[in-house]
Amino acid sequence: MRLGPEDKKAKKEYINKLLNLCFLYKIKAIRKKVIEMEVKVEGGSDFANESYTKICQDTFRDAGLRSNIDHVYMHCNPKEFVFVIATKIGRVSRPVTVWDVTLREEKKLRITTEKYAPKLLASLWDKYGEKVEQVGRLELLLKLEDNEIEELLKLVLYDPKDDLVTRILYALDTIIPEGARVRSPMRSANSVAIIASENPIGEEQKNKVEEMVSEYV
Amino acid sequence: MYKIMMFEGGVYKFYELKELVGDLGGFILQESVMQTETMMHLAFPEEDEREIRDKIKELGGKFKELALAGTEIIVVVPSLGKHHAVDPMCDIAEFLRRSGAITNMMGLARGVGRRIAQMTTQEKRIIEEFDAAVFIFGTFEECIEEKVKLCEKIDIPYIIVGGPSEMELEHYVGGVGRKTARMRNKDEIERLYAVASELEKALAEKRLDIEEDPIAASPLFIKDMIEMTILPKAGEELPNVIQLDGLRVKIEEEDIEKIKEIEIGNKKLSEICEIKKSPYTGYLLKIKSEAITGALF
Repeated sequence: MRLGPEDKKAKKEYINKLLNLCFLYKIKAIRKKVIEMEVKVEGGSDFANESYTKICQDTFRDAGLRSNIDHVYMHCNPKEFVFVIATKIGRVSRPVTVWDVTLREEKKLRITTEKYAPKLLASLWDKYGEKVEQVGRLELLLKLEDNEIEELLKLVLYDPKDDLVTRILYALDTIIPEGARVRSPMRSANSVAIIASENPIGEEQKNKVEEMVSEYV
Repeated sequence: MYKIMMFEGGVYKFYELKELVGDLGGFILQESVMQTETMMHLAFPEEDEREIRDKIKELGGKFKELALAGTEIIVVVPSLGKHHAVDPMCDIAEFLRRSGAITNMMGLARGVGRRIAQMTTQEKRIIEEFDAAVFIFGTFEECIEEKVKLCEKIDIPYIIVGGPSEMELEHYVGGVGRKTARMRNKDEIERLYAVASELEKALAEKRLDIEEDPIAASPLFIKDMIEMTILPKAGEELPNVIQLDGLRVKIEEEDIEKIKEIEIGNKKLSEICEIKKSPYTGYLLKIKSEAITGALF
């Protein structure tokens, strides 16, 4: 079967996309080797420090944050029941656009990452209304001009930067012992830190912690 | 006294083993047949062990001693939040089940922290219904020292599981601490064995007490008599759980009168047992000692 010019164009676009993906994965793999999230835990016994180092690594991995955090510093003081945890935010992945999660077939869009399908449909219907039609589970029909479609493909679906701090705070909440319910967060441009205790946290203590944390983040 | 053991093997002639256990006056506690594989928990008189072993050898099955069989254990953690569940709490409970125990899990309402940790009277009452308790108290030595004070009020055998490898506590198992993944490494499995053996030691005292002052009838026998009167509902798992000196019966309120009338030897069940409603689940039957009730047969 001979391929028509349109099929050839679609095939070329598909191959380009695949190559691009391979390149991204390669970079990711290299970066993973070079940048490892550093975890430092101090203050407790050897067993406790080792145990909390593992808890930090596992929790950030489960939350999908390992590549976004440069290092984590934790100070445990079980005698006074005060726990300090500080994280330095590193690189954040680029926003996900419509182009990243779909494959264009002329006036049709095929969704390649189903995870983003609800968000994609919601934002397209919000912006273009009835001009976007869902013809199959993963197929969209666009009643739009070519330049409009080009614009549509650049539409941002999800920016990891938006909920990064929320996700970090959730992970920190999982790491800090449950009994330390009095929390005092400290936020700067590229770091998130929390002091947690079961007793009230005074200003003096906060200043002391700020000094301690500033060495690491 | 009855001995409880586990049989694992094929289905070939395994009904002969079941018949033999019945003939010797024993009981089948649990039975599961998975295609050609069979697993059974058997209880039989201690003196007939040789006969059972010979039969199993003849059938080509495996025989395993269950150190914690016939006990109901509660695993207690400071809370049921993501910090304590599911690991190591479920790992320990699952391992105890492999040793034959029936396990239950409990998170304290206000058990977290060091200074603020508490145990309510109701929680204490629930814990004391069981044969033994396993307290899992995290990683820090300072916190464990403080939380141990909560357990001191408990009136049943208990063990404490924590992070520091050694602490000056009775029945303590270290090296566990907080976990984020299943305990599946060699070292971790060794720790689980240590938990099971420490619990066995803690229970040995209670077993000795019962041996010195025997109870009127075996819980296994009473369980069998109850199940003959009130049939277990279809699909209900473990409706009646045996303990060392009694049993937990999960029945409707209207059936309790029927149970009281059951004849065990020359006495009624209500005469040889203290029956009370459990704040946790079902009814608790504590069997009185033979010295109080007199001989039943």
